[in-house]
This record gives sequence, C-alpha cells and structure tokens, in this order.
Amino acid sequence: MAIADAEALTGVTRARVNWTPYLLVLPTLAFLSVFFIYPMAQAISLAVTDPPTGALTWAHFRRMSSDLYFGQAVRFTLIITAIAVPLQVALGLAIALLVNTRFRGHTVFLYLTALPIGISDLAAGMIWLSILTERGYLNAALQRLGLIEQPVVFLTLERPEWLLAAIILTELWRATAIVMVILLAGLQLIPKDYAETAAVFGAGRWQTARHVILPLLRPSLQTALIIRTILAFQLFATVVTLAGRQIPVLAGETYFWYSLYRSPSVASAYAVLILLLSASITWIYLYVLAPKAGEVRL
Amino acid sequence: MRSLRLASLLGVTMLVFGAGAALSAPAQEVVFTSNQFTPVTEQEWARNTLLPKFTEETGVRVQFTTENEGPYVDRLLAETKAGKGTIDVTGTLHGIFPVFIASNAIADMTAVQQRLDARRDRTFFPDLLKVSKMEGIQAFVPWMQATYLVAARKDALKYFPAGRDPMRMTYDDLLQWGENVRQATGQRRIGFPAGPRGLYGRFLHGYAYPSFTGSQVKRFKSAEAVEMWRYLRRLWGVTHPSSFTYEFMAQPLLLGEVWVAWDHIARILPALQERPNDFVVLPSPAGPKGRSFLSVIVGLAIPKTADNPDLGERLIEYLTRPSTQVMTAQGVAFFPVSPEAAKAAPTGGLKVVADGVSAQAGAPDGHTALLPVGLGARTGEFVPLYVDTFRRIAIQGEDIPRVLVDQGAKLDELYRATNAPCAPPDPPQRPCVPD
Repeated sequence: MAIADAEALTGVTRARVNWTPYLLVLPTLAFLSVFFIYPMAQAISLAVTDPPTGALTWAHFRRMSSDLYFGQAVRFTLIITAIAVPLQVALGLAIALLVNTRFRGHTVFLYLTALPIGISDLAAGMIWLSILTERGYLNAALQRLGLIEQPVVFLTLERPEWLLAAIILTELWRATAIVMVILLAGLQLIPKDYAETAAVFGAGRWQTARHVILPLLRPSLQTALIIRTILAFQLFATVVTLAGRQIPVLAGETYFWYSLYRSPSVASAYAVLILLLSASITWIYLYVLAPKAGEVRL
Repeated sequence: MRSLRLASLLGVTMLVFGAGAALSAPAQEVVFTSNQFTPVTEQEWARNTLLPKFTEETGVRVQFTTENEGPYVDRLLAETKAGKGTIDVTGTLHGIFPVFIASNAIADMTAVQQRLDARRDRTFFPDLLKVSKMEGIQAFVPWMQATYLVAARKDALKYFPAGRDPMRMTYDDLLQWGENVRQATGQRRIGFPAGPRGLYGRFLHGYAYPSFTGSQVKRFKSAEAVEMWRYLRRLWGVTHPSSFTYEFMAQPLLLGEVWVAWDHIARILPALQERPNDFVVLPSPAGPKGRSFLSVIVGLAIPKTADNPDLGERLIEYLTRPSTQVMTAQGVAFFPVSPEAAKAAPTGGLKVVADGVSAQAGAPDGHTALLPVGLGARTGEFVPLYVDTFRRIAIQGEDIPRVLVDQGAKLDELYRATNAPCAPPDPPQRPCVPD
C-alpha cells in the first residue's frame, strides 16, 4: 500500500500498480489466517478466560502447573529435544555430506535413508514398539544368536532411561532424514568453485568443510534446526506408543487434557506454553545463527 | 465388431438406467455416531456386517462415525449449540448422557420406548430401563452391555494357588498367582491395561475400591482404602513392567507377554476368537467387601437437532431387535439388553467369555458398581483422579495416607462443584463426598 500511495502522490496512474505479488500471496495468507491465526487466537482466548463468564483468569495455567505430570512433561520435553535435535542435525549433516560426494549408488542410498520421511510418527512408534517389546524382533534376534537366555524387558517403567533411549532412537530413525534432505538441498546450492578455490589455497578436506562449506550452509542449518526443534516440542505419538504416560511430554499432556479430562481450557494453556517455547527457541536460533558483520552470504 | 457394438450398447443402456434409478429414488441416509466400536476391527464389523443388513432391509444408508470420547461429545454439543445438526442417532455409555442432558442436546426417548414396547417382539431388562431414566426423562434406549473380566492362559492355571478355585478367585489369590509365576519362571506375567488409553482406571474405582471398601467415593480415604493401596503396591510388584504401554490386553495375551490379564471383554475377545482353546475367562477377584464389578451400559438416543428423527428411530428399532443383539454379541462381545436375546447360546470364543460373565454375575458375593453420573462437563476428570492416585502411590512410592488426603480433596471439590450423587454401591447422596 505504501508504494501505491507514493505512486499516487507522484501522479502516476493507479493502473500501473503491480498487484500480481499480492494476489499470489493471498491464498497463503487466507490459508494461514483460517487454519493458523484464527485457531491460535482461539486457543489463547480459551486459555485465559473462564468458560461460563468469559472473565480473564490465570486459573487454567495454575491448574496446568499444579498438575502431577506438568513438571515431568516440561523436563522430559526439554531433555528429549536437547539430546535428539543435535544428534539429528549431526547425523543428517554427515549423511548429506556423504551423499554429496556422489559415490557409486548414492541415489539408492539417498532414497533408502529418506524413506522414514514418508512414515507417520505413530507408525514409527508402532514399528519400534514391535522391535523393542518383550516378544519383539530385537529379543528374538538376540535369543537366536544365543546372546541372551530370557527375553529382556526393555520397555519397563523401572528404567526410565531406557524408555528415553528408545524414544530418542525412534526419533533419530524417523526424523534425521528430513534434516538430511534440507541440508543436502543446501549443499547442492553451494557452487563447486568455493571448494576448488579453497583447494587452490591449500586447504585440506576438514578445513574446507569447517571454514567454507559450513558457513555457507548456515541458512539451511538454521531452517533444519528450527523445524526440528519446533517439531520436537510437538513430539507426541512416538512417546505415547513406546512409553505411555511414564515419560510425559507437553504435546501429550495437551492431548490428554483435551481428550481424557475434557478440559479444552487447560489443554489450550499447554498449547500456549508450547507456542511460547517454540517462538522463543526460533528467535534464539535466528539471533545466534545470524551471520556476523563481514561474513559472506550466498 | 458386431459383438463389440452390442456390448457397448448394453453398457450405455445400463449406465443410463442405472443413473436413472439413482436419480428417481434419492437414497435416504441416517447419520449415526458413537464412541463405542472405536477399535478398527469393531469399526469394520459395524460397517460390513451390522449396518449393511439395515440398509438391505430399508434402503436407508447409514453414515457411521465412531470417535474417542472427546471429539465425539464435542461434535454433538457443537451441533446443539449451532441449533442445527446432522446426527440422527447417537450411541454411548450411560455415564455420558448427563453431559448431553446438561446441554439439552438429546430428546426424551419415552415415546420411542413406548413404540418399541408396542411391537411386543422385545423387552428390556428392568434394571437397565431404570438406569436409562435420569433428570426426569428417558435419556436412552438400552442397546448393549459389557463388563470387565480376567482372562488367563490355560497353562498358567497350574500356578494358581493350590486348593483354591479360580472361578471364585480372591484378590489374595491373584497376588499369590502372580507370585507363583514369578518364582517359577522369573517373570512377571500379570497384566493390566495401564496405558494412557487403557481402562485401568475402571479397575481402580469400579473393582478394587468397592471390593475392599464397599464404596467408590465415600470411603476413598478410609483405613480399608489404605490397606487396598498397600495390596495394589504388592500386586504391581508381580505385574508386567510394560503394563503402562498396554491398551488392549488381547495383544500381550496372544504374544505371551502376559498370562493373566484384566480388561474390558471387547478388548480381550480378539485373543479368544483367535485361540478359543488356549484361554479361560474368570470372574474378577473378590475382596473383603465382596466381588464388585462394573456394569457398562450403552444406550441409543436421538439428538434434539436430528435431521431425520424418524429414520433414527428405525435404526434404533433395528439395533435393539433381539436378532441384532445376538449378532452384536457374537461379533464384538457386547451382551444383550433383552432377555429374548440373552437366551441364544453363544459359541466359540464368545462361549468362553459368556461362562466367565455368568460366573461373575452369578457369584453369591457379587455386586454391581455403576459408572458415576451427574458430573456433567467434568465427567472426564473422575477416572484420572484414581489413576493419578495410583501413580503417586505405586509408581512414585509416595506416602499412602497423605496422597489419599490430597486426592480426596480433589474428589471432594469435583463432587461439590457439580453437586453429583453417589453411584452404587455408595448410597445415593448428593453431593457425594469422601468421608
């Protein structure tokens, strides 16, 4: 609008305003308003109002924070995110670099590693549940190899650290691929000239990767980190499948408050908490990973 | 060439006539929602076996949607709020009807019931009809009923405490049984559906509490309750440590992870159907105050906003017909609500269940507990209070009396806020609060 006004002032006819970009973003904007902004506003209003009177209240947040599962849900969500996301990014980067060397058969390898992207998180949870339960594939294999006599109960509430390990393993298997795809796309955007120039100046492989490739890959890394962290805060189905409510997580509690306790207000309070967490983490990533002055950007 | 032309002519003719037939008689449709039959196998059975027979007979298509309690209740209440709806018939647990009544969402079924009675081909068990009347109206027509039982592998019976009768099992027997298995095999083979969507909470408030204290709510903090929680802690010690992931006990029973399981009959049935000769069904255990079990009653109602209440009534007539009730029992192990249907002899896996059910219902020390009603919109908070209590006591190892005081205060607040009456076996006081 500002441009249009400026042009109108300088006496140029309005017909020359180029509306195409606005028309092009309109569907996206409409979609976002209907399916994201409106529900978000509704969730926030549910979380801070008293249902019968409509008065402002903090009661739902108080109820949320005094709940038996709240403290653990915050703790476990942060622990899982803190362990799984760096591992996913490191592993994704390693695979992306490997695929980018274009070794023989790298396309087959790429498709195989990208396969889990197509599997829903619930299905991934079920797959790993069938591997890890007492009568699962892992125990069967170990028994056949003669490594154990009796099946080992991996998923037991007496060993929460094993439950956590199972969840993180499943998350690694399920979500590393998406990181890899984002980073691979980023790598393929980097012109070969940079690496060749580095080689001319005598940089080794490691030095090239550290000082040339990684800085140039920053935008992709940023995207991958933001997406993975936000999704980690929404982590739910794999956890519920493998660990029930022994490992409570924030998104799971949101679901339980809505569907088990039938309290949309407290569920919304949880949703608002997840929103705040995601927003602040995204902001931190954008701030920390922003290129410093004098750095090259593609 | 000639035959090809003939075939295409035939094809076109069929198309025209087919389309014509479809246009001339607009297909009628009745919309049926429920929070029962949510497991995929049950949904399939409802869509492929139960409802097509109705369509065959009447030409009315049934659009059947089954969802978990949350979205299910919300859809009907949203239609009520909007003042116009699509749902013609809805079927759910009797404990959910107060939520609908509180929002004025469902019609009084008295007239429908009278027309069903006038057909003279079915009667309903009088105690079920009594439960269907609440807040001055008949909230639903009884549809089917269910309960929870113990299923066990036959080869686990050799570990059952010597000299005791499994058909008259007590809670002490159950603990000893688990202990014997553990000593013999080194494994914990008793299982409970303690996963997030499992029904373990029903075991706590409808089975253990009334069997140990004679009450679901009033004696929540009593000395007997403290005793019961001590017992449950010990029982948890012989319970399979993956129980917190179980939601349907048929699966761990079939896998052999669990040898003795307590669950809803519909959630045990798949194991019995697959291997009817390997399992027995036993009544739930008895405690110091008798053998308490929950009677789950499922009813059918017509929303006030229904588009086609007449078609809805036809569907209700079909679903409560004795022959349909027998079919339902054979298919998904929900038992009849009519004596005419209850007479039919069950076969296969269902026979195993029926034996267990009659042993439970006919036990001299047996008594029925009912799901709580009257908590309105806060109905969903009741069961989690018991499950949280269990978690704090048995898993986190907190001090029993202190937890009971804490959780009892929440129960107190819930009942006072909703002014709800006690459900049997507690006396019908209002509000129902822990002593």
